[in-house]
Amino acid sequence: MNKDSLKALTNAHAWVGLVISTILFIIFFAGSISLFRDDINVWELNPHYAVNEQSESLSLDRVISTVAKEYNINTHGYFILSMPSVEQPLANLYFEEKLSDDEHVDQHFILAPNGKIIGNGNGSSWGDFLYELHYNLHIPEVGLYFVGIVSLFFFVALLSGVVIHWRKIISKFFQYRKEGKKDKLLDAHNLIGVMGLPFHIMYAFSGLVFNLLIIYQISYAVVLYGGDQSKLLTAAGVVDVHLEETKIVLPVQGIDNLYLTAKATLGEVSINRISIDHFGDESASVTFRGADKSQFSTRKEATYHIASGRELYLTKDNFDNDLRGGLAVISSLHFGDFAGYLIRVLFFTLGIGTCYIILTGNLMWIQKKANLRVEKQNTMGLKLVYAMTTGGFIGTIFASAIGFVFARIIPIDYVGRSDLIAYIFFGCLFSAIVVSLNIKAQKQFAAIFLKITAGALALTPLMDWLFVSQGIMAMLNVGYYHVIVVEGMLLSLALFCWLIAARLFVNKRIEVDNEIGNVINTLVQE
Amino acid sequence: MWSRTFAGLIIGLLLSVSIVLNLNLLLPIKEDTMLLIGLLLAFPIWAGIQVWSYSFSSAKKAWLKLSLLLIPSVLINAVLLSLR
Repeated sequence: MNKDSLKALTNAHAWVGLVISTILFIIFFAGSISLFRDDINVWELNPHYAVNEQSESLSLDRVISTVAKEYNINTHGYFILSMPSVEQPLANLYFEEKLSDDEHVDQHFILAPNGKIIGNGNGSSWGDFLYELHYNLHIPEVGLYFVGIVSLFFFVALLSGVVIHWRKIISKFFQYRKEGKKDKLLDAHNLIGVMGLPFHIMYAFSGLVFNLLIIYQISYAVVLYGGDQSKLLTAAGVVDVHLEETKIVLPVQGIDNLYLTAKATLGEVSINRISIDHFGDESASVTFRGADKSQFSTRKEATYHIASGRELYLTKDNFDNDLRGGLAVISSLHFGDFAGYLIRVLFFTLGIGTCYIILTGNLMWIQKKANLRVEKQNTMGLKLVYAMTTGGFIGTIFASAIGFVFARIIPIDYVGRSDLIAYIFFGCLFSAIVVSLNIKAQKQFAAIFLKITAGALALTPLMDWLFVSQGIMAMLNVGYYHVIVVEGMLLSLALFCWLIAARLFVNKRIEVDNEIGNVINTLVQE
Repeated sequence: MWSRTFAGLIIGLLLSVSIVLNLNLLLPIKEDTMLLIGLLLAFPIWAGIQVWSYSFSSAKKAWLKLSLLLIPSVLINAVLLSLR
């Protein structure tokens, strides 16, 4: 590649990185935490409903008859039972309640191991909030595609970075120059970028697949299938086992027997999701879905007509379709759900490392622009980038830390709890950006703000043991360590924030003192 | 920079769709496998074209060179679809 092209690409790499930096930071930070989404959901909810036994004999028929007696379940709505698992010790029931012909309400109940309803889960979804922040930034409709476009430019930044760094990728692989400030940032940027490259490429690619697949879906449907979307979906392995509604009312029963049949038919499987279609109608069907933990990324599914017990669909290998199998592999890689906690800890570390790459990229840009002559400086642009870096980046971590604190201290049965925590999160984030836009001494502000954030992150474990210690102990007694996992994650983030504050955003006064010291030393030597 | 961005974004998308469609129409592989191969190739092609568009010193050059690549691929699409 010639010199001009390389220069153009270097400028583009910096420009692309800067434009997407704040959003990409939010995506990666929320995504890294979301690797422990199930643990966070359990951390939030289960200490309030801790039970002193492990799930063994959950009667599905008993649960269904209890719920059907008390609630008018919408026949045309969803009815999903999320089974107890290692990740979520309590069962969760989700369904749509019919209030009138036009009015429906979403219900979410927590079930004890014996199937008894022990609580309402509508107000506890902090883990899900962070996950949604990761994939659509809580922007309705277009958020998913917006995140997809950001993922595309992340991919572009990765590829351009590889091209720029290609000649030095081996010879300067372990280079880390501690002395020079710019060198230190650049070396950290390159070192983490190169070492985590397969991970970064996997995330950029899988993020694109999840968020922008629709583009290729439309183009394939239009060109290859003459505009017939259903033909494309059939080729893509989407199976429709929907039966026509008969309008004959029939209570749902016999699910326990069908569950045993499904387990026997599917072989090695851990059924984690049971869903019922056309609840209460004669045409109702039940689908058992699970994963075969003995194999990498293998989904299994069986569907039965409830009234007759007839098998409607069965797959033991990712819907027997290469595309579905491929998507399952991409999904497993993205969520790191194939090798227990170890792989998620590794992905979490690399994810936070990516946040550090984004931070060092912005700091290098700021440093470069700040060193320009005053007449060449774009003061407004510089101020904006600095504010987005301190307010946006640290603000995201701070808002998440405060979210964790409030997810612990707000009573679990408080009406509108989830919405309140969401407002607090966004309030903290926007306040941080506004404050940083109005602060001149950005470096000092960043250092102090990071230390406050570290304190806020460390506060949650303290709150845990102050507010729900009994529940946590009950969970630990039956071998559920989710709270400890979340606390470990928060404390490691607190340590990370503290170290960044101490190492990267060194107090200006100390720097000036050092510079003065160096000048004095030079003079003495002369 | 914006013009080169749009050059890569638009032509990159069209080119990625066009190339994977050509592969789909040319290779004798079963349907679901072909869809998967298309999916695996499409996004890297799009991102690669975007990177290429940034390597040009001017936006005009980027639009021109990328279009020169797109036109033959679209023509092959047209021929293959008409022969189908």
